[in-house]
Amino acid sequence: MSTPPRETIQKQIQQDWANREYIEVITGSIKKITDFLNSFDMSCRSRLATLNEKLTSLERKIDYLEACVTKGETLT
Amino acid sequence: MSVSEKVSLSDALSNVDVLDELTLPDEQPCIEAAPCSILYQANFDTNFEDRNGFVTGIAKYIEEATVHANLNELLEEGNAHAVMLYTWRCCSRAIPQPRSNEQPDRVHIYERTVQVLAPEVDKLLHFMYFQRKAIERFCGEVRRLCHAEKRRDFVSEAYLLTLGKFVNMFAVLDELKNMKSSVKNDYSTYRRAAQFLKVMSDSQSLQESQNLSMFLATQNKIRDTVKDALEKISGYEDLLADVVNICVHMFETKMYLTPSEKHMLVKVMGFGLFLMDSEICNINRLDQKKKIKLDRIDRIFKNLEVVPLFGDMQIRVAGTRIKMPWPLSSSPNPPSPQADLMVHLPQIREEHQNYISELARYSNEVTTTFKEAGSDSENKAVTELCLRGLQLLSSWCSVLTELCSWKLLHPTDHASNPRCPPDAEEYERATRYNYTSEEKFAMIEVIAMIKGLQVLMARMETVFSDAARRSIYAELQDFVQLVLREPLRKAIKNKKDLIRSIIVSVRETCGDWARGCEPQQDPALRGKKDGEASFTIKVPRRNVGPSSTQLYMVRTQLEALISDKSGGRRTLRKDLDAATAQQIDHFHKQSFYWAYLLNLSDSLQKCCDLSQLWYREFYLEMTMGRKVNKCTVRHQHNEECNDLITMEKRIQFPIEMSMPWILTDHILRTKEPAMMEYVLYPLDLYNDSAQYALTVFKKQFLYDEVEAEVNLCFDQFVYKLSEQVYAHYKQLAASMLLDKRYRAECAARGASTGCNAGRYASLLKQRHVALLGRHVDLCALVAQRINADMHRALDAAVAKFEAGDITGVVELEGLISVNRLCHKLLSRFLSLDDFESILRESDHGVLAPYGRVTLHVFWELNYDFLPNYCYNAATDRFVKCRGIQFAAGVQRERPQQYGHALLWGSKQLSLAYSAQYAQYNGFVGAQHLHALVRLLGYQGVAVVISELLGVARGLLHGTLAQFTRALAAAMPRHCKLPRYDYGSNGVLGYYHAQLTDIVQYPDARTELFHAFRELGNIILFCMLIEQALSQEEVTDLLHAAPFQNILPRPYAPEGEKPETKQKRLEAKYAALQIVQNVDKYGCGLSLLSIYTYNNTVVVDCLLWSALQFLYCIPVGDTQFTVEELFGEGLHWAGCTIIALLGQQRRFEALDFSYHILRVQRVDGKDELVKGIPLKRMVDRIRRFQVLNSQIFGVLARHLAADDERAGVEHVRCFPPPAAPHHN
Repeated sequence: MSTPPRETIQKQIQQDWANREYIEVITGSIKKITDFLNSFDMSCRSRLATLNEKLTSLERKIDYLEACVTKGETLT
Repeated sequence: MSVSEKVSLSDALSNVDVLDELTLPDEQPCIEAAPCSILYQANFDTNFEDRNGFVTGIAKYIEEATVHANLNELLEEGNAHAVMLYTWRCCSRAIPQPRSNEQPDRVHIYERTVQVLAPEVDKLLHFMYFQRKAIERFCGEVRRLCHAEKRRDFVSEAYLLTLGKFVNMFAVLDELKNMKSSVKNDYSTYRRAAQFLKVMSDSQSLQESQNLSMFLATQNKIRDTVKDALEKISGYEDLLADVVNICVHMFETKMYLTPSEKHMLVKVMGFGLFLMDSEICNINRLDQKKKIKLDRIDRIFKNLEVVPLFGDMQIRVAGTRIKMPWPLSSSPNPPSPQADLMVHLPQIREEHQNYISELARYSNEVTTTFKEAGSDSENKAVTELCLRGLQLLSSWCSVLTELCSWKLLHPTDHASNPRCPPDAEEYERATRYNYTSEEKFAMIEVIAMIKGLQVLMARMETVFSDAARRSIYAELQDFVQLVLREPLRKAIKNKKDLIRSIIVSVRETCGDWARGCEPQQDPALRGKKDGEASFTIKVPRRNVGPSSTQLYMVRTQLEALISDKSGGRRTLRKDLDAATAQQIDHFHKQSFYWAYLLNLSDSLQKCCDLSQLWYREFYLEMTMGRKVNKCTVRHQHNEECNDLITMEKRIQFPIEMSMPWILTDHILRTKEPAMMEYVLYPLDLYNDSAQYALTVFKKQFLYDEVEAEVNLCFDQFVYKLSEQVYAHYKQLAASMLLDKRYRAECAARGASTGCNAGRYASLLKQRHVALLGRHVDLCALVAQRINADMHRALDAAVAKFEAGDITGVVELEGLISVNRLCHKLLSRFLSLDDFESILRESDHGVLAPYGRVTLHVFWELNYDFLPNYCYNAATDRFVKCRGIQFAAGVQRERPQQYGHALLWGSKQLSLAYSAQYAQYNGFVGAQHLHALVRLLGYQGVAVVISELLGVARGLLHGTLAQFTRALAAAMPRHCKLPRYDYGSNGVLGYYHAQLTDIVQYPDARTELFHAFRELGNIILFCMLIEQALSQEEVTDLLHAAPFQNILPRPYAPEGEKPETKQKRLEAKYAALQIVQNVDKYGCGLSLLSIYTYNNTVVVDCLLWSALQFLYCIPVGDTQFTVEELFGEGLHWAGCTIIALLGQQRRFEALDFSYHILRVQRVDGKDELVKGIPLKRMVDRIRRFQVLNSQIFGVLARHLAADDERAGVEHVRCFPPPAAPHHN
């Protein structure tokens, strides 16, 4: 295998730098998307938990009121 | 968006940037380790795959890269084998063994055994082959490097380090193989089965099997083989000395990042010395020849006596393997600094504080300002900050792991720690009882610092890695393109060909030239200085670091330039001028950390990895799945006791011995407020362990075990936490309601009724706690439990009331108000049920019209209050007659025992409150009635009153009617008022004679008067409760006034008409006028007015006169007086009947006793008539007359009001309010 001329190799190495920079940029962006998804996840979880809490408490209130109103038998 | 549509890169990137602008609020305070659902790690380490791209580099180093690549692969394989050995669990114990040769299914058993164990045995075979191959390869490398010619050459730092890693690998594998007896047992089980079945028929496999069992059975086999092989190579000790020296150098200059790398260096020193030390070559002689420096190594060994070997296996580096005196590290005193965490803690705290504040400044800057890319110096500063953070994390982590290693190797015992029972298990002694409380707190604090900083750094990871890439690129290119120009020029000028070629090669390997290739017109390339027409090179900037191969090539080639040793030849360093050498040196040192910075997320994780605190495979192996139960009977132990030793089958340790839980539990147990917010950090250790089990050990069963333990621990955690939170807020509420001066008094007497600070607020805001990839809503779980506690507490309050008499009603009210306040305090954090509905539920008042409290009140009234209490108008109280129980004793439910948390919060508070409420025992007065009214509400009071009226009716129709009939028969036919002329003594004598039958009637005092008293009690109770009710109503009405358009007169300054202000206020509160029918709650419910039914009892005033005569007769000093026995209920009953029958005037005119009084007033006599002292009798009559007229007065008012109402309008009948709490 004959060694290609110097300039070609240097060009190739420079190309390699450029390519790797491109990959880094993409990777960095994926990382940002991951971060976003994670914080989105956290935020959603906390909001859903609040919602869940409200629904649960409403449900319990309904149970209580139902018991108050029906005096024993359940509403169907 | 359709698939075919093209999106440009810049669009895509700006889309990503836009994501930052979305606000994603998460309201929980961050008190746990980095929670991430998605973990993204890019790994650009190519392991020298791309080495052929850099043909411009010096061929020798490219070759070396190839060798490196191979060695790295071997190291990785070795690590896999180490994991295999470490996580090996004994299989043969679970396999049934045929008991005798006659057992019919033994062939089947053996077949299955072989089938099951064959894959495992395969692994062992591979392990044996691997170690052979690895030793061969290692010795091959050593032989190559020790070759006489080669020896002169310089060996790169990376190469030596890789050799060191090999040494370390051999040591680890050997120790693991020695330790794992279950591997040997499993193999022998397999071998027995295989020999029986004749699976290994050919001689080759038989030989192999023989080799394997020899290999497994021989202790220290790998180490000895390596040593034997090395000793055949001449000059190997020089190379190993280089390896050891480089490790010492790296250790001392902190050229490592992760704790495992640090420990690896120490282990290499230890085993390197062991391998060098032989008969031919003594390490002491090497020391004398200054090839190695034993005193420096000794110091390192002293600082780090015990090093984690693998997982929970430890090794003491000094002393055990190498027989030589270590002046420092072999003496036990002073103990190694690694044993004491408290020594390090102040420094760690300070470092943490300083670093956190610096980081906060940067992070604020980054989040508030938007910058494309910082300047070079900014990037460099951020990069340095990042590196410092990583180093801090790593150092704290290693302090922790080293402490744990030390503790594992130095278990406690009963003598040194009395809390440790004498029969404690080995692992228990190494973990559970081996840490003091301060040490545990310190560990928790350090863990919290590590995990907390990890979160902060992970948040800034993109910023950090961006800055790191830019700054590394800039530094590298500046160095290669600018700094190296000058030495290159000199080398060309001075015709130093070797230096020139190395520099050129470095420049060509990683130069990223602005024009694509090296500028040919650069005068330096021709060995000339820059002329007047100054030549400038513009170095580009990029956001990318060098590839791993590039970095290796640059560093190794530069190292060759500055290396001190070159085996006798003139070193290249001498040809460089001092400044250049220093520059290169500096660059070489700096660039060591680049690999870590370029792989930031991985490095960050490795620096914070505390997973090994959980792993205990070594100890599990030691106990062999058994727990030894020794003879626990206290006696002189003898040989018989040995028979009592029993084995308990067990494959895991209980959570009490597990470090993460020990730490978590320590916080919960001590309830230390300062530590409470750290409580989630020790739990995060499970996340680390699970992550390690999945990604490094790759063993499902380990993950399952972690998961099982987490499930158990988390349940415990939630249970304990909610119990604590509830008790804390209960205490808080109880001490808030306690009178301040009383509290001060209690405190002065040493009973603390206050409550500690509890920092539960941020814990109670945790809505997603990350545990093993699950997210747990801690807040909801705690709320659920506390809700149940609330129910139970109110239940307990009611049950406590039910177990006592009616006087307990005040305490019940107090308990309910404490619970109400507690509920209010907790509702700030948790969503709990409505308090009133909980109260009604515990009172069983949801389905039934009246609850337990009402029922018990009525029950008590009926069975205890009416029969036993006497009324006293002077104190306005009902009291029990001293010493006499009128009715049969009442049987109540036995009081249940409740925890303090359910009642008043704590023992001291319970004492304080019970002392307070003891004051209300023994009588029923206004306080009780008020409490009753407040608790029962209109509905309850109505129920109680109507039931009481039933009782009254029963009394009137039953006992009273019966007695009065009997007495009426005994009444004299004629009983006129005798004339005054007879004198008072005569009148008394006359009446006494006339009424003799009645006076001597035996049941009058024992039965009849009691019946009257009970009736009177009923009337009094009704009257008093009405009073209480109307007083309560007044306050209610006052509160309700604005709703009824009754506003207080506003203040009007001069010149302003009060009316206009009033009008404005009315307009302002107009919205409140929604309850027009509110007056129905306010209308007085004249309870006594119901008491109008036809009295069929034939009590007339004459009979009552007779009875009054009877009880006016004074009694002797020793006897109970009528007042004592019956109170004023008696009079009330009689007077009411008379008033209702409309005979009041007749009674007043014709009453016998009154007549005596009148006569006596005139004559003023005092003598003994038939044993009755006249004067005393008359005094009594006078007293009762006053009382009677008072009673008649009260009754007249009530009856008049009644008549009035009946005359004017019919009583509007409002249905009683259905649920009192809705108003």
